[in-house]
Amino acid sequence: MIQTVPIPASRRRVFDSVFSPASLDDFSPTPVATPALDYTAVGQPFGGGIQTYDRTSLPRPSTASSFLSNDTVPLADEVDKTTWDHAWQVATAFLVLPDAKLSYLEVCGEVDQERFFKQWNRHDPPSKETTEALAYLLGASSAGRQSSGITFERPDLLEWYGNETRRHFLKNFREGLLLLLRATEIGDALQKTVQYLHLARTIYLAPVVEHILPLLDTKAQEKSFGAFQEGFHAVVAYSLPWNTLSPLLAQEVTKEAFIILGIDTLATTDDDENDMEVDRQCTISYLEWREEPSDEVRMHMMAENDDAQVTAARDRLLSLFNGLQLVGLGGDRAQKVFASVMDALLTEFTREAYTGQWEGPSLVVHHLRQWIENVFARLVVQVLAIIHPPEQGSQASDRLSISLSTVERWQESGIARLGALRTGELFDVIVDWPASSGAIEDLRHFTTHPAARLYVTQTFITALNQRLLHPGASTVEILQVYISIIRGFTLLDPKGVLLDRIARPIRRYLRDRDDTIKAIVGGLLADPDEADEQVQPAAGSSADETLVELSAELAKAHRSSLQRADSGELDWDDMNWMPDPVDAAPDYRKSKSSDVIGSLISLFESKEAFVKEMQQMLADRLLRKRGDFEQELSVVEFLKVRFGDSALQACEVMLRDIFDSKRVDASVRNDQRLAQEPDPGVDQPELHAKILSRFFWPELQPLEFKVPEPVAVQQQQYAEGFESLKQSRKLTWHNGLGQVTVELDLEDRVFVDQVTTWQATVIYAFQSSSSALAVEDLSQELAMSAALVRSACLFWVSKRILTEVQRDHFCVLEVLPSETDENAATGGSHPVDAGQDSEEADRSAATANAAAAADAAAAAAAKETADAAAMEKMNLYWQFIMGMLTNQGAMPLQRIVMMLKIAVPGGFPFSNEELREFLAGMVNKGKLEIVSGGNYKIIRDA
Amino acid sequence: MDYSMEDTQNAAPDAHETSKLSSTAQRADTQSVTKRLQHELMELMLSPSPGISAFPNADGNLLSWTATITGPTETPYDGLSLKLSFTFPNNYPYAAPTVLFITPIYHPNVDFSGRICLDILRDKWSAVYNVQTVLLSLQSLLGEPNNASPLNAQAAELWDNDKEEFKRHVLARHRDIDEE
Repeated sequence: MIQTVPIPASRRRVFDSVFSPASLDDFSPTPVATPALDYTAVGQPFGGGIQTYDRTSLPRPSTASSFLSNDTVPLADEVDKTTWDHAWQVATAFLVLPDAKLSYLEVCGEVDQERFFKQWNRHDPPSKETTEALAYLLGASSAGRQSSGITFERPDLLEWYGNETRRHFLKNFREGLLLLLRATEIGDALQKTVQYLHLARTIYLAPVVEHILPLLDTKAQEKSFGAFQEGFHAVVAYSLPWNTLSPLLAQEVTKEAFIILGIDTLATTDDDENDMEVDRQCTISYLEWREEPSDEVRMHMMAENDDAQVTAARDRLLSLFNGLQLVGLGGDRAQKVFASVMDALLTEFTREAYTGQWEGPSLVVHHLRQWIENVFARLVVQVLAIIHPPEQGSQASDRLSISLSTVERWQESGIARLGALRTGELFDVIVDWPASSGAIEDLRHFTTHPAARLYVTQTFITALNQRLLHPGASTVEILQVYISIIRGFTLLDPKGVLLDRIARPIRRYLRDRDDTIKAIVGGLLADPDEADEQVQPAAGSSADETLVELSAELAKAHRSSLQRADSGELDWDDMNWMPDPVDAAPDYRKSKSSDVIGSLISLFESKEAFVKEMQQMLADRLLRKRGDFEQELSVVEFLKVRFGDSALQACEVMLRDIFDSKRVDASVRNDQRLAQEPDPGVDQPELHAKILSRFFWPELQPLEFKVPEPVAVQQQQYAEGFESLKQSRKLTWHNGLGQVTVELDLEDRVFVDQVTTWQATVIYAFQSSSSALAVEDLSQELAMSAALVRSACLFWVSKRILTEVQRDHFCVLEVLPSETDENAATGGSHPVDAGQDSEEADRSAATANAAAAADAAAAAAAKETADAAAMEKMNLYWQFIMGMLTNQGAMPLQRIVMMLKIAVPGGFPFSNEELREFLAGMVNKGKLEIVSGGNYKIIRDA
Repeated sequence: MDYSMEDTQNAAPDAHETSKLSSTAQRADTQSVTKRLQHELMELMLSPSPGISAFPNADGNLLSWTATITGPTETPYDGLSLKLSFTFPNNYPYAAPTVLFITPIYHPNVDFSGRICLDILRDKWSAVYNVQTVLLSLQSLLGEPNNASPLNAQAAELWDNDKEEFKRHVLARHRDIDEE
């Protein structure tokens, strides 16, 4: 590309050798050999401006005079030469172009064509002399040269004219055009440029076409015209920098193609629908197209896309390209620009048209193919018909015809773009899963070869790592997405290779999460119907945090697994067997259980973890007071199909225990006459028991305390009944587990609720006394930890049964204080509340406070027991540490922790800091010493 | 036809995953050994016996342990700390562990490289024995050597004839190897 910026000297020399180095003003129209003619003055008459331009001011007189003066040359040859010179003078004078700046071209629109050309020394019928001179010169150059043995140098007139136009263009127009192109604020710079160039071309070509060509034979005509045109193109290309031009062109093409391809309508579909209705009857919006039921109409919509706006844009674009081609700015380079624009627009179109269009069944691919065939390809064909590279000939026609295979290639390319779009969206698609099956269908068209599949998986894994597999996402969320991924990718790739690849990082990550098993088991046991009312104290999560759909999936998967017996890898009777896909990982294995449950359960290598968690959950749920356990029963049944009977034996026993308990309970009560307690006056509690086979249940946290006397009596009775019913079995009461329905008869109200056993026990203790009871006394009396007693008391405070008269002293609130009383009362006992005016607010606040306090106390009590348990465990760890240090010698802390993690079954739950603290305590007790290098050493007791 | 190889190949990913999961999980055949040893360790920790202790070595698998016996009172070994190494075979507990004294010891039934002549470590081994019982047997062996089949004839003789001299030998040979 030729730069107009200053060129280095060496390069300038090269240019100078090609293009006339002399000042453009000095350009001589005649050969140097001819007698001196004052041509330097040629431009001057025009210098004053076009208005003063006059035909007579052309230097014809001087030509004539020199003609005469040359007459005296004596040589015979000279005669010829003289004639020739004379003719040359006349012809060049006729052809010469008046210098004028670009601004004169601008008036073109205002004055009429005729006058305009007149101003430019054109459309003047040549005089007879001129015609003759032209004929002579051309004749001489074409025919006479060889025959007449002319010795002197006779330049070609056409060549001269070519030089003249070049000179003229460079001198007059180039500057202006460059200015025009650089003035970026002018929107239509390109059109103007093209227009001016077009005019210049017309001006330059006019005499050639009108006067010179007719004098030549057809073959020479074509040749010289072509040569002239090429010369013009060359000078244009030289003087107008393409890198300024191409962005303009690209911009222009993009603008028009945007309309022609219909992308503009897509972008505005949402905001101004009414506007659009008026503007464009037809759009190529995918949504509307999709809604159209019949294929024909759809086809029609696409083909009939042209409305006024499109037609106008198309005309504009085509004429622009026409102009470009004519002035030599078409060809290869314009094609390149056009190609890059179309390439970008194809992407743009897929993005605009299909982003977020995920509904299934998807017709996107169909739509895209039609669009490319009818809209995209049409424009390309039209444009390419205009801008073709200059080298004409047989290959040109080949290039122009766009074959069907080319269109197909474009369609493939379009689908690849769509695939890229969908791949980018894939994460959102998956999150949206059931509503976005269409997007997966689209991807199926894309993932046909290994490279594309690799791209999809890699992009998706990156997205996963960024958006899902981080500490901010809850395990349930991750599992949810994983489930969607399993479903989505099973549809995308039934073979499961992609899923296999995608699932690896997720599975690896899930294994690291502590609560994965809990989440899965919780999901399995969740009841879709009662998801809302479900309370899960263990998980502490709200209902929507459980994977409810897992239980539905379990039922579904169970049905399907019954249908096809899972015969494993080597299914000899499988007539539809196919080899693994080529891009499968080496250790890829078509999972026998491509279903969701199977994938989740196979996360961990052993079923034991699941079964253990399952037992825990099951125990939790079974001990609640509920009529039936249909759901639990069916879940256990389903899991038995997967895990085998033996793995779930404990769970089954647990279930049986519960069912048996009912029967046993009834019969024991019958035998011991506990059931018939006809006298309602006797205040006798009713006792039901669940009999658990201790061996099969997970360890239940013992929470021992003295139950109220009547209950204890009943327990005794019950146990006797049971032991007589079941020989050689013994009942051990778990007083901490269970529910009690209490009915409290207070002076002004009756309170009925279901509470825990320890809460009931505490309130029972208040039955006898009307005075305040201290927590400490209660704790001793009930053999219950003080924290638990306090927690229970606070619970009753929150129910407005008890009131705390002073710290850790509670008494029964027999009569709900009236409003004023209460103010006074609370004022007395809780100075904080005294100032409150609004009774309702006060009451609710007080209740809420009490409830919160009760919760906190319960939590504190729970923590206390947990702490005790932890200490218990620490003792065990101490044994390990002693064994370790005794046998392996002194060790640093790090190593101790590492060894504990390896050696202690179930892992070591404490952090380095906690252990350090513990060991420091042992050092203080004189059991350990710290020796050199921070190593802990055991002190051998004497 | 033999499809066992195919199966192995297909099973490979699982094994791969397993090994990634936990470093303690061994191949299937050693898994039961590991489990058993873990159990024994736990038992040892839960009910420690005075004078004996044992713990696995730090090499990550549980197949080699170090044990310590404190010499029983009323014996020439009173108060001495004696270390032993346990190496468990892959088919433990169906075969006896190899037990050696690491601490140099002068004893009628122990030779100079620490090998022990004890019937339950040889032909009388049974799967009901465990680390604890072996250690207890060895502890009692210190006080009551079996002089009928000595590995160290001199020691056997001294034990019978000259307790003082025996004790002198014991103390001369003993070296604490606490610090490695």
